[in-house]
Amino acid sequence: MRRSLIAAAIALLVGAGAAAAAPQTSIEFWTISLQPFFTAYVQRLIDTYERAHPGVRVRWIDVQPQAIDQKLLAAIAGGVAPDVVNLNTEGTIRMAEVHALVDMDAAVPAAARGRYFPNIWASTRLDGRAYGIPWYVVPDVLAYNRALFRRAGLDPARPPATEDAFVRAAVAIKQRTGAYGFMPNVDNIRMLKRFQEDGLPILSADRKRAVFDSPAHVALLARYVALYKEGMFPDDTLRRGYLGATERYAAGQLAMLVTGPQFLLRVRSDSPGVYQDTLVAPAPLGRAHVLDLPTMDLAVPLASRHRREAVEFALFVTNDENQLAFSHLVVIFPSTRKAAADPYFTRAGTNPEDRARVIAARELGIARDLSVVVPHSDELFRIFREAVESAFYGRMTPQRALAWAAGEWNTRLR
Amino acid sequence: MAARRALAAYLFLLPALALLGVFTFYPVVFGTALSLFDYDVISPPRFVGAAHFRELWTDRYFWIALRNSLVYLAVVPALQLGAIVLALWVRRPLRGIGWFRAAYYLPVVTSMVVAGLLWRWLYDESGLVNYVLLRLRMIHAPVHWLSDPSLALYAVMAVTLWKGLGYYMVIYLAGLEAIPPVYEEAAALDGAGAAARLFRVTIPLLRPSILLASTLSAIAALRVFEEMYVMTGGGPVYSTYTLFYYMFDQAFNALHLGYAAAVGVVLAAVTIGLSVVNFRLLRQGGLSYY
Repeated sequence: MRRSLIAAAIALLVGAGAAAAAPQTSIEFWTISLQPFFTAYVQRLIDTYERAHPGVRVRWIDVQPQAIDQKLLAAIAGGVAPDVVNLNTEGTIRMAEVHALVDMDAAVPAAARGRYFPNIWASTRLDGRAYGIPWYVVPDVLAYNRALFRRAGLDPARPPATEDAFVRAAVAIKQRTGAYGFMPNVDNIRMLKRFQEDGLPILSADRKRAVFDSPAHVALLARYVALYKEGMFPDDTLRRGYLGATERYAAGQLAMLVTGPQFLLRVRSDSPGVYQDTLVAPAPLGRAHVLDLPTMDLAVPLASRHRREAVEFALFVTNDENQLAFSHLVVIFPSTRKAAADPYFTRAGTNPEDRARVIAARELGIARDLSVVVPHSDELFRIFREAVESAFYGRMTPQRALAWAAGEWNTRLR
Repeated sequence: MAARRALAAYLFLLPALALLGVFTFYPVVFGTALSLFDYDVISPPRFVGAAHFRELWTDRYFWIALRNSLVYLAVVPALQLGAIVLALWVRRPLRGIGWFRAAYYLPVVTSMVVAGLLWRWLYDESGLVNYVLLRLRMIHAPVHWLSDPSLALYAVMAVTLWKGLGYYMVIYLAGLEAIPPVYEEAAALDGAGAAARLFRVTIPLLRPSILLASTLSAIAALRVFEEMYVMTGGGPVYSTYTLFYYMFDQAFNALHLGYAAAVGVVLAAVTIGLSVVNFRLLRQGGLSYY
């Protein structure tokens, strides 16, 4: 009896010792701008994960979107790379180009990969390999100010459904009310997406040649240039992009805003009056009936010391249950098929966010990430931006601008 | 004894030297060496010799940025002139002049991001600048200060001017205070008028301050970045894209850190060259003038 008691005590001690000495893996998780709105949600995720994985501790750091690239680089260079990092498609591709990220096609088992929408999984593919685990997607919707619609004699019950109708409505609003109707998404390199929304390709099938200088491309750019010269959209459209548009919309100086539904939260907090007058409709479609689908991914730097645990944690964050819970907090959509099939996404509500959710859920079928993936992207995009701005500011004709940019791209793509 | 005194002096220099060594000398040496390497943070650096400098020679955006940076230097004489006038103005023993001095200095201590945002609103199509000019009938339609490629750089320069005036004003104030009043008094007794006293006595005596302020200001002008980053993003059509902006873009957006370092070396060379010219032109003066 005494001997067995001693044995039990020893076993207990050894066990306790083993537990105390269990290797503690600490993984660092970076998100983009989720604090303070989603602090509780992310913390709950982490707590749940840590309970299920006693050997793993997750350290969460929230980073501002403008700073994440620099911070990530600095962390990698300093040998303190995060283990899981939230990046958008462009960011993921840029880091993948310099071979900084784990190949998720190799690291994630096929069964787990199969849970995601294949088109969304493919959005971070570079040279045939995917470098991010898709987290959430946010298709744009059209938010519009019904008071301005009424002042312009337009029926708020019939928002524009096509890009053509969108432009017509914007012109009517500007001419009849003096307020701007829209700020088209033509800043920086977003014209590349506009082209694709009208079914106009950017690259040849073999991806070795730029083809955005066709007469159809030129006509589309020329149309926006003419609208700009007629003063149909504000002069800071090219300079400030969607941030400027959101600010102007929130100030009640812009009638229509094509934006991710999450920006409605900002309008709600910044200007409740405008929010009251806000209605939501599907984003106007170009001729190709395709919508851009900006995607947020979770990537694992190659410099991570705990790649296996990091991939596991990223899969946990993006699993059906967690994505669904996240989608209940803000108008975003899951990248996994099962979560996206939840009835929650088809239940209509009354406030602009609920309507946006139902509308955006319907749009998912025609949406795909229209980010252009090219080698030397920084150089090619700089050239494209210069060409588009040169056309808008009268330094080149749209035709010359696109021909010049395509020529410059071609010498670098070959 | 002398050796001990020297040792003490060196000991006093040591803390500052250590800081300079870590935060200035080491980065300068490392950055210069980096310009000879291909480096993207992720992969190990690869020696490429002078390849980056050859590449710069044919790099369209480098030349655009260099040109803009050199044009930006035009802000230096305007800034110095403004600051001297301001210093002469606030030197007068008027009631409440302290408040004026503080007011002129306020932009200096305002963060560039705040100032940039403020000026972005002021320059807006329906902002205060356009409103005032329209009311004064100096323009017929709102001017697109930050969206017109031929105006944007000058509009940003005006912000630098506004922000820097107070800083250089203080340098000139100190310079003016250091001039013994006997010189002006003697000139006045000899019958020199106010203009003659200013241009023949005060300004020549102020030359050491002018040298210091214009050198600092030229260095700052060549390194201008925040104004553009906040207000224009380098646009429109790269008209406000400066060398420093290009360096930032190459380093942190394109991850070409070696190439960015090469841009930095060129920027440093231009800065040093300019400072030498400045010293040559303005070295004479001060009390040695007499």
